[in-house]
Amino acid sequence: MSEPPLVLERVSATYGREPVLREVDLEVGPGEIVGLVGPNGSGKTTLVRVASRTLRPTAGSIRVGGQDLTRMSAHDAARLVAVVPQDVVPAFTFTALELVLMGRSPYRTRWGGGGPQDWAKVREAMAATQVQHLADRPVDELSGGERRRVVLAQALAQDAPVLMLDEPTTHLDVRHVLDLLSIVRRLAEVEGTAVLAIHHDLNLAASTCDRLVALHRGAVVASGTPASVVTSALLREVYGVEADVSTDPATGRPSVRIGVPSEPAAPLGRRAHVVGGAGRGAPILRGLAEAGYDVSAGVLHASDTDADVAERLNLVRVSVPPFSAIDAEAEEACRRLMFEADLLVVCDAPFGPGNVANLRLALATARSGVQTILLEQIPIEERDFTDGEASQIWSELRSVATVARSYEELELVLR
Amino acid sequence: MRRAVPYRRVILGLVAGLMAAFLLGVAVGAVWIPPIETIRLIAWKLGLTARPEDVSRATEVIVFQLRLPRVLLAAIVGGALAASGAVFQGLFRNPLADPAIIGVSSGAALGAVLVIVTVGAGSLGAFAVPLAAFVGAIATAFVVYRLARIGPAVQVATLLLAGIAIAAVISSFMSLVMSFSGEEIRDIYAWLLGGLVAQGWRSVEIVSPVVILGVAGAWLVAHELNLISLGEERAAQLGVELDRLKRTSIAVGALLAAAAVSVAGVIGFVGLMTPHLLRLVIGSDHRRLVPASVLGGAILLILADLIARTVVAPSELPVGVVTALIGGPFFIYLLRREGRKAGARV
Repeated sequence: MSEPPLVLERVSATYGREPVLREVDLEVGPGEIVGLVGPNGSGKTTLVRVASRTLRPTAGSIRVGGQDLTRMSAHDAARLVAVVPQDVVPAFTFTALELVLMGRSPYRTRWGGGGPQDWAKVREAMAATQVQHLADRPVDELSGGERRRVVLAQALAQDAPVLMLDEPTTHLDVRHVLDLLSIVRRLAEVEGTAVLAIHHDLNLAASTCDRLVALHRGAVVASGTPASVVTSALLREVYGVEADVSTDPATGRPSVRIGVPSEPAAPLGRRAHVVGGAGRGAPILRGLAEAGYDVSAGVLHASDTDADVAERLNLVRVSVPPFSAIDAEAEEACRRLMFEADLLVVCDAPFGPGNVANLRLALATARSGVQTILLEQIPIEERDFTDGEASQIWSELRSVATVARSYEELELVLR
Repeated sequence: MRRAVPYRRVILGLVAGLMAAFLLGVAVGAVWIPPIETIRLIAWKLGLTARPEDVSRATEVIVFQLRLPRVLLAAIVGGALAASGAVFQGLFRNPLADPAIIGVSSGAALGAVLVIVTVGAGSLGAFAVPLAAFVGAIATAFVVYRLARIGPAVQVATLLLAGIAIAAVISSFMSLVMSFSGEEIRDIYAWLLGGLVAQGWRSVEIVSPVVILGVAGAWLVAHELNLISLGEERAAQLGVELDRLKRTSIAVGALLAAAAVSVAGVIGFVGLMTPHLLRLVIGSDHRRLVPASVLGGAILLILADLIARTVVAPSELPVGVVTALIGGPFFIYLLRREGRKAGARV
């Protein structure tokens, strides 16, 4: 088995004294599209510059088709690695055809013009990117989308086994983004071109790349399938944002929704406690926090959706490890939160031996006079996993609490 | 802006224009010499025909000793300046660049002025002035290049700034030299304003090999100049060794400009206007632009010289004054147009 088209081994690079790449290992196989993700300044562009021989690494090796890239002339390297830059704005007026022909320059000898081979490749590249009809048009008269396709054709004309894309879709509208990426996909499939693409948009990267490599402060922090790289933990660590990562049901690819922290309302000076679980409490936690309540939650099981949301909203919470029963200490802590609250909301979460203690606490709290609301969109019978104990407590709760049949109704009751 | 005129037709037109300008340049003067007589005389000199008996001996002397070398020199100098301009504009990715911008012309002038002051413009000076100008031009290009080189890279902006700074230093130094000079000041001014006055064949013999070398060099870097107009990074991605290209282009541009300045003094605007006008007609491919500029520059300077020696006959204007009078307004027009374009783009 021969070596992959592009192999980087322990590559480091600096700008001046500032290290921008730290011992990066990376491989791109034939026909594979690898996406490079990471925030601004994480070293993505530097990595492409190093891997295309426009910047010398300070350490490590870069091999293209088994050959050491740093020992090659620029002329030879340009036959092996083609780069699609963000945009090209020529200083002088060139036609689209002239621009694409320049992609053949790595193949020309000092005195030679374009041979039949060059013309064939240029025609092929212009056909693939659908810019033949623009051939005689000056590039500075083209639209942004047309010009990007001409630049892509220029890179394709280089006929290199490795193609790098430096944020090729910035400032393009959705239609053009998809067109451009499908051309690249076809190239990878048909020609076996190894593609390394910098993407700013994580969703785009996750949905169009075979594999992702995440860079943070010049080092690789995650590498693998899109699902294994795009996680909320990575987003928090690398981008410093809170986001929900779900799986797109149509493609099976991860999909990122960045949580925009909403402006909190003026504090009401009222305490509310929520008994949740299995994500039933999440909308209520958010709603109450946004309405200005001082919200607490518990007892929750760690890594439950409600626990995640409570953590993200930075709420006071009591939690126990996953799949374990509520211990005495947690129960006592939660009892205090509940009894001190002005409002208690009990959600229609599933109740089993692990969390039925929450219901007992809620009943005691409601009986002590704390205003209590029950959410009952799902009947208790469908979520009682305690052989009747939960249903028993629930019916006693109904006698001392207000019942809401849906989230909307709950909102009305709260107002 | 679609290009209506095919390249081949433009070149044919330029060649025809050059021949017409050439014959006109030889014909016009104190004595009118019909172009047909010039053609017959040249055919005879080339050994194609017998001596045309009806052409007087005086006409023969005027054509071969006075007009022909002057017109040829104008053509060579104009071609060299225009090719130099094409190279510098390409390298700096700026249609306003010119040999004068990186200080080459001032360097050449300083060399010449030093010789005029110390040796004089006569006998020995006649040979020493071009040589000193040439040395001055190349030395300046080298110094500017070294100054602009920060670490491994030469940035265009620093190169332009270094050129401007060096040109300022040189011109004040030149003023100093001139203020200490006596009667040579007239020679200095004559040279500084640029002129093709009565130089005979020797100047043609000195500069033509240098200019041919320079034009060949410009043709060699032409393709890479196309690539660098996409930006340095993109050019590197397409296989250009940037530093080598910069070194070669500056050497070639300086060589051409130095050759021109060394025999004709400082003649502005030919290097600026010619490539720019031709770009509008044949596009920006430097492999076309360089040959076309050589022809266009030759035509332009022959005509400018024709104007210079006829408008105030029997006296003469320095040719640099004529090119400046045509080129100055053109430069301002360009500047405003570029400004508007930049404004529209932002």
